[in-house]
Amino acid sequence: MFDVILYTQWKWSRLIIVLGSLAGFALPIVSVQGAASGDRGALAAGALLQTVQSWGVLYPVLAAALGLLVAIATWAPDHRGRHVHALSLPVARWRYVLLRFASGATLLALPILAVLAGAILATWSATIPVGLRGYALALAARFALAVLVAYAVFFAVSAGTARTAGIILAVIGSVILLQIVASVANVDLDVFGELQVAVLNWPGPLAIFTGRWMLIDV
Amino acid sequence: MCSPALQEGWQPPAAECAALIRPFQGRATKRLLLPLFAVAVQSLSGQDVPRLQARADSLVREWRRASALADMVDSLDHARAAGGTDTISVGALRIVTNPSPARLREAASRAWPVIDSLYGTEARQLAQRPYLIAPYDPDTTSPKPTLRGAIQVPWDQDVTSLAMILVTNVPIGQPDAALHNWLGGLVVPIVRPEQARAAVYVQLVTAPSQAARSCFLGVMNDCRNALGLAESPDPLRQWYPSVGERRALVVRSFAEYFGYLDHGARKPTLQSCGAGSDAACTELLRSLPPGVLPRPLTYDARAALVHIALRLGGREAYHRLIATPALPIPQRLAGAAGVSVDSLVSLWRAEILAARPAPVTVPPWGPWVALGWTAVFAVCALRSSRWRVS
Amino acid sequence: MTNAVELHQVRYRASRTFEIGNLDLNVRSGSIYGFLGPNGSGKTTTMRLALGLLRPLSGRITVLGDEIPANAPRVLARVGYVPEQPHLDPTLTVRESLRFQAAFYATWDWPRAEQLLRQFDLEERNTFGRLSKGQKGKLMTLLALAQRPELLVLDEPTDGLDPVVRRDVLSALLDYVSQHQATVFISSHLVHELERICDWIGVMDNGRLITEVPMDRFKNGIKRLRVADAPPTVADAPFVILARERANGRVETWVVRDWEPAMAAYFETVGAALNDVIDLDLEEGFVELLRTFRAPRG
Repeated sequence: MFDVILYTQWKWSRLIIVLGSLAGFALPIVSVQGAASGDRGALAAGALLQTVQSWGVLYPVLAAALGLLVAIATWAPDHRGRHVHALSLPVARWRYVLLRFASGATLLALPILAVLAGAILATWSATIPVGLRGYALALAARFALAVLVAYAVFFAVSAGTARTAGIILAVIGSVILLQIVASVANVDLDVFGELQVAVLNWPGPLAIFTGRWMLIDV
Repeated sequence: MCSPALQEGWQPPAAECAALIRPFQGRATKRLLLPLFAVAVQSLSGQDVPRLQARADSLVREWRRASALADMVDSLDHARAAGGTDTISVGALRIVTNPSPARLREAASRAWPVIDSLYGTEARQLAQRPYLIAPYDPDTTSPKPTLRGAIQVPWDQDVTSLAMILVTNVPIGQPDAALHNWLGGLVVPIVRPEQARAAVYVQLVTAPSQAARSCFLGVMNDCRNALGLAESPDPLRQWYPSVGERRALVVRSFAEYFGYLDHGARKPTLQSCGAGSDAACTELLRSLPPGVLPRPLTYDARAALVHIALRLGGREAYHRLIATPALPIPQRLAGAAGVSVDSLVSLWRAEILAARPAPVTVPPWGPWVALGWTAVFAVCALRSSRWRVS
Repeated sequence: MTNAVELHQVRYRASRTFEIGNLDLNVRSGSIYGFLGPNGSGKTTTMRLALGLLRPLSGRITVLGDEIPANAPRVLARVGYVPEQPHLDPTLTVRESLRFQAAFYATWDWPRAEQLLRQFDLEERNTFGRLSKGQKGKLMTLLALAQRPELLVLDEPTDGLDPVVRRDVLSALLDYVSQHQATVFISSHLVHELERICDWIGVMDNGRLITEVPMDRFKNGIKRLRVADAPPTVADAPFVILARERANGRVETWVVRDWEPAMAAYFETVGAALNDVIDLDLEEGFVELLRTFRAPRG
């Protein structure tokens, strides 16, 4: 069963996966170009770290984009068929959902491996100043986790019915309304701030995305 | 003893200082200091603009400090007269504060061992230099206390944070100018020594200075250079020996300064420097006022060295360090530590290298958390399985 | 005789304006059950309820002896379903669609699938999205038959197909049923089509089952009678009068249900004369049945 689900998933996601893999492979290599080529003496380390850090913001962006697009593509055939075919198959729904989830996650291994390969190649080919080290594996592992979290979030949202989407929108609307009411009533309540702290800091769900993404560091 | 204190930095109100300051209290302070400020500026008119600006800034700082000190003394007197203050004593620490539920005594009990271990016998001088702390009701509608110059903290501040405030604002007497200038500040306890050393490690690796880089690579002489311990008539060449370093320094740190200085008179030189002329870069950097040329390493690096020296030297170390202001800094550090300066720097480097920071910002349990969230959202997807075909 | 499909007092609310109320429906094992009803009458919803695609508000559904929706996967493994709208992944080719389906059914019959592929003349490299409506219908039927189901649930399987394709599909279905003694639960607008193949008939309207009878009884039981001198009110008739219209003069036209020849004697007892008994075909009977059902009761 898994192989046929994986195959259909591949047909829907292949463009995303291929482009994501290319981007994931190129990103680490591009991030060390220039700064790490040739000996620039005492200036090399700082310049390299600066360059690597500025390119580093693209890793979580790529991870989020891949998670979103592959999650959408995972459910696309079923949404398109209004889930009639999926529901008429002789398999428990939970098992079918797991098969879909696993197939999307499996395909995401390609861009993750591409990031790993690109990172290894970049650290191997670049002239890394003394004192700095390449963290290809750590970066790729973190990228993998970020991709998985993003994929799981969007997979869950995409798996929901219109009612689920309505509930999510209602919750967001309520938070906004609460904040507006609090502001009007001059109540010291920062819902957005609290939410941001809860979501973006450990052990929040999106904490894996925050912080520095350094291919090369001390 | 009060005069240098006024000139060189903030000083808590020791009794003799309070006596001297009393005539300058209130609004009168400002009126008296302003003509002094004007005269001082006039006497400097023959000097170049950066030097004048530096002096002017220095005088403004002194004026502010004097005002703050006068305010504090005034405030203390006022509070004492009204019978509204308590004095908390822990070891040699003295905290003058208004009555409140703030847990200052517990905080002082935590802070005192840290402070005592750093200053040793010299910590006793703190009995004459109390903290002035004004806890306030965190309820925003309550009026804040009127103790001017006091450190204001909310009542509900936790003990750890209060202890941190005490440690980082320790009112120890300012050392001599030579030590202060070399260090770039006071000798104060380091709150998070591991993090501070890790920050120095990063500096050693990334500082745009050959001295710092060579120090990292193990050239001890360059460690002394980077720490500002080596006597040199030309610190520019010593700290930034290569053409690229000097040009980078000008372009990155002083382009704006030289671009606007003297109504843009230095712009051509700046452009030449940017185009690759080392002579232009060197000329620009040499024109900087004394003390403005950035040192390869920051205060943290030198403070780490001082802390190692004090740790090695025992309880009398700080006393020995400040007791010999006439000696060069390396000798004073060696005297305080009881070892040669080479050994001291060598130990410093070893400790800094041992403090290499963890490069990845994800905590060790972070991957498990991320996988956990992935599982949670996957279960959400299972739960949201639709029984209705749309 | 056991039932392949049993719906007992099933309630389901599809929207504010439409619901299925206390539905009782039984599809005998081995029968071909034709499910008739106008558009929006609830045929598709009933079939989806029977397959566990929808969850009823109340009532009990049993298919092939198993409870639905609790045991839906087990039941669906023995059921071939052709939905009203083709819903396969449009990016898959015909061959890939077969492989996909085969992976989910332990009873998948590859030789049968290959044979049907040839019989239906389907180009296996074409993607499902590029197939014509007739080809899609054929492929859906192929998928349903190749899994060797015990029950075929066919929701308008020939809707929109041209007569040639319709004939191909129906003949393949009948072949299969005759070989495997499978049960067929089929809905269609094409009443004549059902008339040819079904042995049971169920008529649905507005969420309610109007009737559920064997086909021959349905066809033979609904008659158009020409009655002379009929009394204004008729009581204790052994048949059900569905419609009564004045034709000309003394003669009226009655449409009745549950008619049997022996009932002709009844007219003499009420002072009327039965002039003629006319057979109705399934479509006419269906239309008359609906008209009666929808007429305001007074």
